[in-house]
Amino acid sequence: MKNRMRVLRAEMDWTQADLATRIGVSRQAVIAVENGKYDPALPLAFRIARAFGKNVEDVFIWEDEDPSQKGGTK
Amino acid sequence: MPELHRKQNPSRILFLLVALLATAIDIGAFRVLARVELGPTPRILVALAPLPGDIALIWLALRAIRKLDEFQKRVHFEAVVVAFLSTGVAVFVYGYLQKAEVVGPLNFGIVWALMLASYAVGYRIAVSHYQ
Repeated sequence: MKNRMRVLRAEMDWTQADLATRIGVSRQAVIAVENGKYDPALPLAFRIARAFGKNVEDVFIWEDEDPSQKGGTK
Repeated sequence: MPELHRKQNPSRILFLLVALLATAIDIGAFRVLARVELGPTPRILVALAPLPGDIALIWLALRAIRKLDEFQKRVHFEAVVVAFLSTGVAVFVYGYLQKAEVVGPLNFGIVWALMLASYAVGYRIAVSHYQ
């Protein structure tokens, strides 16, 4: 799963620590999620999205692992 | 997890104090059992004296873990897995060596030290994995 956290954070001019304080997690957690090393659970994903004033799907992008599924299903 | 640990200083101090008290009771009970002649019932009571402190430590550790965020819980979970399994394997290997009469009785202090050391290693592995 990819995310746009770094871009959105830059737009808001927030540091990782700022975002961590806003969503009530450690800076380590923000770093891990932002770098795509850790996929957050839904409540945290929603908190991150809400902190940016966005919907979850505007922040997190699901990458389908199966190339044959690209383009969606009919 | 430097940020949260700094915020949890009162909890850490309480944990350290209880840990010190529990260790003191543990050492005291061990010395009493080794040096004082007691009947069966008092010996059991003295032997079980460290139990309340140990239970308090478990409760404090659980309380601290519940305050962590989901990522930190994941990191600690992986550290616990490394500590639990590596200590278990080490104790089993020691048991086999005992059966082979190569080594003497197991010192449980060493088991605790091994568990702590492997927990620290597991924690470092988990943190570096997610960085």
